[in-house]
Amino acid sequence: MWLTSKIKQVLMVMKPGVVTLRYPFAPRPAPENFRGRPQWDHAKCVGCGGCANHCPARTIMVRDLCQEIRVLLYDGARCTYCGRCADVCPEKAIAMTGRFEQATGDRNDVTERLELFMLTCQRCGRCYDMETPNAVDKLGLTGYRYDSLEARTVLRRATDRFEPKELDATERYERPETTGD
Amino acid sequence: MSIVAIFINIILFLLLAPLFDGVMRKITARVQSRQGPPVVQPYYDLFKLLGKERIVSARNWAFRLAPPTAFASILTVAALVPFGSRLNALGGRVDAITLVYLLTLGGVAVLLGALASRNTFAAIGASRETVTMVMVEPVLAMTLILGAVRAKSFGLGSAVFGAAGAGTSPSTLVMMAAYLLALQAFVAKQPFDISEAEIEILEGPFIEYSGPDYALFRYAMMMKQMFYAWLFVAVFAPFLRTGFYAGDILAQLAGTLVVFVVIALVGSTNPRLRIDQAVKIYAVLILIALGAVGLAVAGM
Amino acid sequence: MLAKIAKKCFPRSLWVYHCNSGACNGCDIEILNILTPYYDVERFGIKLVGSPRHADVMLLSGAVTRPTLPLVKKAYAAMPGPKLVFGIGSCALGGGCWFDTYNVTGGGATAVPVDYYVPGCPPRPEAIIYGVALALGLVDKKAAPVELKQVEFPIDIYERNKAWEERNVIYKVLNP
Repeated sequence: MWLTSKIKQVLMVMKPGVVTLRYPFAPRPAPENFRGRPQWDHAKCVGCGGCANHCPARTIMVRDLCQEIRVLLYDGARCTYCGRCADVCPEKAIAMTGRFEQATGDRNDVTERLELFMLTCQRCGRCYDMETPNAVDKLGLTGYRYDSLEARTVLRRATDRFEPKELDATERYERPETTGD
Repeated sequence: MSIVAIFINIILFLLLAPLFDGVMRKITARVQSRQGPPVVQPYYDLFKLLGKERIVSARNWAFRLAPPTAFASILTVAALVPFGSRLNALGGRVDAITLVYLLTLGGVAVLLGALASRNTFAAIGASRETVTMVMVEPVLAMTLILGAVRAKSFGLGSAVFGAAGAGTSPSTLVMMAAYLLALQAFVAKQPFDISEAEIEILEGPFIEYSGPDYALFRYAMMMKQMFYAWLFVAVFAPFLRTGFYAGDILAQLAGTLVVFVVIALVGSTNPRLRIDQAVKIYAVLILIALGAVGLAVAGM
Repeated sequence: MLAKIAKKCFPRSLWVYHCNSGACNGCDIEILNILTPYYDVERFGIKLVGSPRHADVMLLSGAVTRPTLPLVKKAYAAMPGPKLVFGIGSCALGGGCWFDTYNVTGGGATAVPVDYYVPGCPPRPEAIIYGVALALGLVDKKAAPVELKQVEFPIDIYERNKAWEERNVIYKVLNP
């Protein structure tokens, strides 16, 4: 009785055959809404920094090299592929592509860096400067930003006018040692 | 010729044991509906292990001597057994009790190595392996005793070939049933692989061995599996004798392959039993084997 | 000569030890997925072993937390060489979203030297198999840093309108 049930079990499991996918040797694309690596479209990006404000892993850094050039650095090492940056972008410049085959030996292979021109005013030729800072504008991180690109850290400092001494102060920022033996 | 047969024995066992293990893994994979490793995978595993660094984590003589002892004992068994249905030069001078003692020596080497590892998991694996060995070796011994009672001598050849020599008598059939049921315990596959090499207690007795030591243990286990499957064919399948040495060897290897397929199928469709459940089954098996020997003594 | 054969057999039989250093178990489930019949990584000869002393590759998942930091180092030291470490998931890459919290030391690289990273949260089983195939040399690397530039050249006052309509866009994608 036990024997016949085991023989029936063997015959039953042989029926599906081999179900293994031939994956690395045959392509297997991601499903449609899959959130893979985000891709910025530099033609649409206006450099608002909303993606950097909303990233939960704080893995998008924004730094103004001078008044006219803003650098956006996406360090994909900490990215959790949540898609909040794509959700919040006002210009729909971020697309969550379906690329998931990102295995690599070097952490810098998953970075994306944008250099954006912050357009100057037609009349005065300067970029936007707030003459009198108001309270509402101080709520978010608007204005000029000085995150550290080398140390891959988001520093929540923003100024209304471009301050070169803030730039110098954050030039060689080092992340403090928190733990570790 | 019979001296050359010793070397043929050893070479065949060394070369073919990983191949049979690979066949078992492939069949297990097919039963689980997946592709599985290539059949020569155990050869890759053994060679890779030989190339790894050897970490000696417990500096005592038992830890260092256990793997070579286990390997040497099973290699001696491979050199002794009658292969191709005739004895070789060594086998003619040996009796059945030596065979059982050599296998027990291999098991004790594993136990010593496990206890010398100073690791709790290894101690658990060693205690389970002890219980298994104590309860399962009697079935093997009684198979050989059956042949010895039949042939009225304890020599190795008479013990091995004597069991089926009198044809299909009731005692032979009962003993064959007992051996088949205990075969899974001999080769340490599910449902009876509680003692060694599983993930529940992190590989049991071999947890602290790395590199070449582990390769020796794995090789010893594979050759032990091949020995038990071969023993079934040699003792209970006398119709596979063709009379030519080479033909006998081929027939015996084919029979061993069939036994391995059966082991793999049974192993992959059964769960693993706990040690207390397994002990109850072993006790029943010992009683059946005793019954077979009693039948043989009574002349049936 | 035995060393040469052993070196050739090494990529064909990688034994894997799974080490969870404080992960949420998402990456662990995906690692278990690749051992199932559907994705079946055992066809490459990869087997899951329970003891680091038998393993060649350590699959590290999780941001290395403070209690597990010395244990991960001990498990790595217990592995016999030659050995590899795979960091699975964004926590092992750089600490995930918790890289600067009080309990996290910040990713696999603080504890052990990581050889291959598989990003994702959690990475798809295909992504982990891709990482394995990359380590075995079966596929090429697809991840590369991307650099995009949108810098306008200095303009004079008479061409401001023209520049307003057409921006000069230069971009290049770096592929090492």
